[in-house]
Amino acid sequence: MTTLIFTHPACVEHDPGASHPECPARLEAVLEALETEEFKDLEWREAPRAETGQLTRVHSKDHVDRVLSAVPKEGHYSLDPDTVLSPSSGEAALRAAGALCAAVDAVMAGEGRNAFCAVRPPGHHAEAARAMGFCLFNNVAVGALHARERHGLARVAVIDFDVHHGNGTQATFAQDSDLFYASTHQFPFYPGTGSADERGLGNVVNAPLAPNTGSAEFRQAMNDRILPALGDFAPDFTFISAGFDAHAADPLANLNFVEEDFAWATREIMDIAEASSKGRVVSTLEGGYDLGALASSAAAHVRALMSG
Amino acid sequence: MAKRSSADAIPQDIARLSFEDALAALEKIVRELEEGKVKLNDAIAAYERGAMLKRHCEAKLSEAKAKVDKIELGPQGTVRAAGADID
Repeated sequence: MTTLIFTHPACVEHDPGASHPECPARLEAVLEALETEEFKDLEWREAPRAETGQLTRVHSKDHVDRVLSAVPKEGHYSLDPDTVLSPSSGEAALRAAGALCAAVDAVMAGEGRNAFCAVRPPGHHAEAARAMGFCLFNNVAVGALHARERHGLARVAVIDFDVHHGNGTQATFAQDSDLFYASTHQFPFYPGTGSADERGLGNVVNAPLAPNTGSAEFRQAMNDRILPALGDFAPDFTFISAGFDAHAADPLANLNFVEEDFAWATREIMDIAEASSKGRVVSTLEGGYDLGALASSAAAHVRALMSG
Repeated sequence: MAKRSSADAIPQDIARLSFEDALAALEKIVRELEEGKVKLNDAIAAYERGAMLKRHCEAKLSEAKAKVDKIELGPQGTVRAAGADID
């Protein structure tokens, strides 16, 4: 069985404006890398729109309405200084969250071994009633709750190696012991959350990393804290919030990961998913702002997904 | 957008600060980062300014330590600056 790729043209068209780092070229770079000969076995799927009922498992109906009604007919509209809408943003946000739900359905149906959602806008900062940090809807949390509600899976995990802490995902998961959230991230840094003492009900593992640390510290945090906790949790379905902005070349942060770190972490997560849930993994793009490093890191990540 | 390296020169507006003012500015940046008051887009600039402030504080401390190291206390409670000829 192959790895599935879910994406949609609207996810490229979403454009927060000139000089905004979360730019259409990011996704173009990722897609270009995955369209090369090496990746010819990938199976490409068009992401559907998320249904309102899928979004409101995570978000208030007010939030969904507020985001979609703020989408401008032309030009831009800022929800906050980081988070800017263009005319395609509503469609992109719906397709991004819908990609996660469709990927879960496809993996559960055995149509692919695992899946990568090549989508924008990213999602992990979006809270129940707040868009922030370039994120409109929390795509990975929408996918996680879809897996649980639609497929009756009891225990769902998200591993987040984006350089920023996924405050929105943590807030969604922290008070539900059947959900598991673990994150490595630069700290202290945006968005301010993610200290090691934020543990939820024991189902949240934060491994903050000091600025200028890299591969060794990341792998130690994964080996010592996150992977054992994930193994103990024994997920029925595992998601990866795959941000690649911890790469050494990234302009928005100060960690020094390399491509192989992302591939290694992916394989380790897949091994646990294999042991507990037939390898069921859905990954989604979060951050990553150096186009070259983003493309090569996403390629290394997807190469690892295909290797399982 | 290029990241600054730790070897970059400290900008003049920081170099002019006293230790106390630099420390206060550094503490303010750390507090704002921890409280989530910094934009995602600005977080790296805030961090890098904090790193510069920290280097400036450390340099000020080293200068002060060098001065303290030059002061010798005599057995009778006398104080002299090392190298100074007070005999």
